[in-house]
Amino acid sequence: MLLEHQHSKLKFYFDIFMVALVLISVLFLLYEVKHPDGHPFLDAFVQFSLVVFIIEYLLRFWIYSDSHKLFLEHYEYAINNNLPFSLPQTLLALVKKKVEYILSPLAIIDLLAILPSYRPLRFLRIFLLFRIFKLFRYARSMKTFTSIITEKKFELFTLAIFASFVIFTGSSAIYIFETHQNPKINTLFDALYWAIVTMGTVGYGDIVPVTTEGMVVAMILIILGVATLAFLTSIIVSSFQNKLIELKESRTFADVDKLESYIVICGYGRVGEVVAKMLHEDGYKLVIIDNDETKIKLAQQRGLIGIVADASKSRILGELGVGKRAAQIICATNSDELNVFITLTARSLSEQIIIIARVIKNTHKKKYFLAGANYAFSADETIGLMGAQYITQPISYAALDEMLTENTGVLFDMVPIHEHAFFINQPIAALNLSEKRLLLFGILRQNSVLAFEFNPSPHCLLQLHDTLIIMGRKHHINLLRKHNDQGNMG
Amino acid sequence: MNEGKILLFGFNRSAIEIGTRLKAQGFPFTCIDNNAALLPYAKKLGFELLIMDYSEDDTLLSLGVSEDVSFIFTLFEEDVHNVFLTLCLRALDPNVQIISTTHTKDAIHKLEIAGVNTILDPYQICGKRIYKLITQPEIMQIIDATIFGEEDINMEQITITEHSALNGVLLSECYPTQNYNMLLIGLHDKELKKEFIFITEGHNHTLDQGDILVVIGKSAEIERFRIDFNL
Repeated sequence: MLLEHQHSKLKFYFDIFMVALVLISVLFLLYEVKHPDGHPFLDAFVQFSLVVFIIEYLLRFWIYSDSHKLFLEHYEYAINNNLPFSLPQTLLALVKKKVEYILSPLAIIDLLAILPSYRPLRFLRIFLLFRIFKLFRYARSMKTFTSIITEKKFELFTLAIFASFVIFTGSSAIYIFETHQNPKINTLFDALYWAIVTMGTVGYGDIVPVTTEGMVVAMILIILGVATLAFLTSIIVSSFQNKLIELKESRTFADVDKLESYIVICGYGRVGEVVAKMLHEDGYKLVIIDNDETKIKLAQQRGLIGIVADASKSRILGELGVGKRAAQIICATNSDELNVFITLTARSLSEQIIIIARVIKNTHKKKYFLAGANYAFSADETIGLMGAQYITQPISYAALDEMLTENTGVLFDMVPIHEHAFFINQPIAALNLSEKRLLLFGILRQNSVLAFEFNPSPHCLLQLHDTLIIMGRKHHINLLRKHNDQGNMG
Repeated sequence: MNEGKILLFGFNRSAIEIGTRLKAQGFPFTCIDNNAALLPYAKKLGFELLIMDYSEDDTLLSLGVSEDVSFIFTLFEEDVHNVFLTLCLRALDPNVQIISTTHTKDAIHKLEIAGVNTILDPYQICGKRIYKLITQPEIMQIIDATIFGEEDINMEQITITEHSALNGVLLSECYPTQNYNMLLIGLHDKELKKEFIFITEGHNHTLDQGDILVVIGKSAEIERFRIDFNL
C-alpha cells in the first residue's frame, strides 16, 4: 500500500514525487497568468499531472474501505445470527463508506485540485491553488500543524468568538460615528475592512478616523487587537512546542523500526549506563528507555537511541518491537517491582526474547525467574562474595576481579568444535594448550547429560558440537581458533 | 591469615550479604550504623549491630581501630559517608585494609585519594555481568555455576610454605596440578610488584616460599593437593 504505509521507503519517494508534481503544476498556473497561450511542453505536463492526480484520487477512493471485506462481514453476520442476508442494506453500507471518503476534507481538496482543469469548469481556476493544500497529504510536519489546530479547537474557538465580537463592535461603531463625516467610509464593508486592518495592527492608513469618537474607537481597537494577537500566538506556540516533542519521539520510534535484533535496556541508571557503553562500543544496536528525561538526553548525546517512556507500559514495549525484532531486554531499573513487571510484560509479549534482570533485593530473585527472566542476579550478592573472598583470600580475590573485569587482557572465550574443525576426534593433549599459552577451563558438551565438564582429562576426545572454554589472551585464543578452522599447524 | 577484627560500616543489603558469608566461614565481625531504626531488622536477621556516631575519632578508636582491627568495609549508600569514613580511618591507621562500595563514578577517584585499598563497584560488576551475558552467555553461565554458584568448584589460594615439596621447583617443570582435578589459574609472586599473574602469561619462574598459587577445583581435590605437598 504505497499511499498509506507509514514507514515504507517507497512511500517516501512517492511523496517526494507528488510534492514536486504539485509545486510544478502550481508554478505553471502562475506562468499562465501572463502567458494565456500556454506552451506545448507545459500543456503536456499539465495533462500528465492531471492524470496522476485523478489516478491517485480514484485509488484512494478504492482503498478507503475494503468493499470485499465489508461485504463478507455483513454476510457472515447474517449467517451467524440466522438473519436473512439483505443485499440492499449491505450495498447501502458500502456506499455510506465511500461517501464518507468523498466528504472527508482531504478528499475534497483532492477533488478541487482536479476539477478546474475540466474546461467547462474553467471559472474554478482559483481552486487550482488547492493543489498546494494537497501537500498536506505528503508532509508529516504539515499534518502536525493541522493537528495542532484541531487540538486547540476550544481555545481557538473562544478566541475567534472574542475577536469577531470586537470586530463587529468596532466596525459598527466607526460606521455609526463616521459614515457622514468621513468620505472614505461609505458602506458597512468599508467599516469592517478598517476595523480588521486596525485590529491586526497593520493600519495601512488608507482609511483614518476623522472624528474624536472614531479615534477613541481606533485606540480601543488597537489595544484589544494586540491582546488578541498575543493570545493567538501563545496558543499556537505552546501547542507547537508540545507537538514538537511528540514529533521527535515518533522519529525515534521510526528509527527503532528500522533496527533488527537489537537490545532494549530499561533504565539508564549507572548499571544501564555501564552496559550500554560496553555494548555500544562492541557495535550492538541498543534502544534505551527511561522515564527520566535528563538521563535520556545524556544517552542521546552519547549517540544512543533513547526514549522517554514508562517501561512498565506494555504498549511501549510492544511499540519498541519487544516480541518481534528485539532479541534481548535488560531490566536495569532501580526497583524490583518495576523490573519484575517489565520481565513479566516482555515475557508475555514474546516467548523467545532473552530477559536479563538486575535484582535489587536478593530475596526477590526467585520472583524474577517465576516472571520468566532468563538470567537474574543481584550486585549485592556478588559484592558479598567478593568482599568475603577479599578477607580470606586476597590473591584469589584479585584473580577473580581480573577475570571478571578483564583489565589485564586475559579473558574467557569459546572455541566451538564444528563439522570441519581440525580438532575433531583429537585428544585434548594434542592441542598443546599450555605451549600455546592457553588454559582449558572446561568443555561444554551438547550431547551429554552433564553439560559442562570442568578440567577434562588430557586423553578425553573432542567430539562434534563440543565447545572449548578457553582462558588466555585474545591473540592466543584467536590463533587457536584459526588453527581449528583451517587445520594448518599455525 | 590475618587474625584481626572485621568492621562493617553501614548496615544495608551489601553488608548483609558480606556478613552472611563471613558468618558461614566462621569469621567474627561487627556491624556499625548510626540509624537506630535498623536495630530490629538486624536482630531479626541475627546480626549484631552497634548504633554509634562513627564520625568521631574516639568512637573509632574505641572500636579497636589502629589496634586489632584488620579489615574495614565502608558500605554506605551515600558516597560522602564512605569517603569521609575512609579518610578518618586511614588517618588513624595507615595499615588497615579498607574496602569501600561506591555509587557514583566520581567517587572512585575520591576514595582512592582517601586511601581505600579496594573498591567494590556494584554497578560496574552488575553492568559487566549483563554485558557478558549478552556477548558470551555460555561463559557467564559457566562462571556463575562454578565459581559463584552452588556447584562444588571453588577458587582458592595456596601459599607455598618453607617445607613444601614445591619450594624451589620451576613452575613449568612441576605442574603438579595435572594429577589433581584442578586448574592452576595463576600466582602471586612476592618478589614481583604485580598482585596477580595469570598462568597463561607464560612467566616461568621458580616457586619460593611465600608465593601464592591460585587454583580452581573441587574443594576435596584442593585439600588432597594441600596435604600431598605439605601446604
